[in-house]
Amino acid sequence: MTIALFDLAEKRMAWADRRQQLLAHNIANANTPHWQAHDLMPFVAVIAKANNGVMAQTQSGHMSGVGGGAVGKEAIQKASERAPDGNSVALDEQLTKVADTETTQQLVTNLYKKYLGMFRVALGRGQ
Amino acid sequence: MDLSSALTISARGMDVQTSRLRVIAENLANQHSTGSTKGADPYRRKTITFENKLDQSLGESTVRVKQIGQDKADLPLRFDPSNPAADEAGYVKLPNVNSFTEVMDMREAQRSYSANLSVMQVTRSMLTRTIEMLK
Repeated sequence: MTIALFDLAEKRMAWADRRQQLLAHNIANANTPHWQAHDLMPFVAVIAKANNGVMAQTQSGHMSGVGGGAVGKEAIQKASERAPDGNSVALDEQLTKVADTETTQQLVTNLYKKYLGMFRVALGRGQ
Repeated sequence: MDLSSALTISARGMDVQTSRLRVIAENLANQHSTGSTKGADPYRRKTITFENKLDQSLGESTVRVKQIGQDKADLPLRFDPSNPAADEAGYVKLPNVNSFTEVMDMREAQRSYSANLSVMQVTRSMLTRTIEMLK
């Protein structure tokens, strides 16, 4: 039996990990010419897609899978502004996203631990 | 794992900013380096560019120094017949280093460096928190 909340926490953490990696990429390339900032699809969209179940079969050779990948695909951000060298990374914006990702991850790990604690109580092993 | 490669990516980001700072230091230190023989060329300002290339051992693309080139801008001239590098007419070619540009570049390098450092700190605490889930 898979427990929904653990499953969801796992997906969300994978999402946060991947996003942190993408943001690290963006910030490391803050001075690389023609670099475009990347970001992940919001988690809501990822879940909605996974819950819809069926993957699109655009060619005859494609297999029908169950649910989409947990992490979601990356998208190139629409740049609000761009440096003369074609770089679209705004450091302040990226760092805000980093902080946001960290908060999300903290929330998920805390929820996970709390939930696990409840299981322990139910099993009679105390906290 | 994503988080540990994020650490490496940020580390490489800091690395290239360090190289950039080295180039800036070189430029600033040489802003008065003229040639030593008659009509010789002085120090030319160095430039640095970055690129994002796949690192085979990491399986991820990381930022690295693409090229350290030379600034092709015109060399300013100064009339100074007593200088050993002066040509027939008495003019000395000076380095095309502008200290304002260098200082602004330095500020930018510093800003990018600290941004990478903050990402690294956040990534590290995320990693620690993930490990602590085992407790």
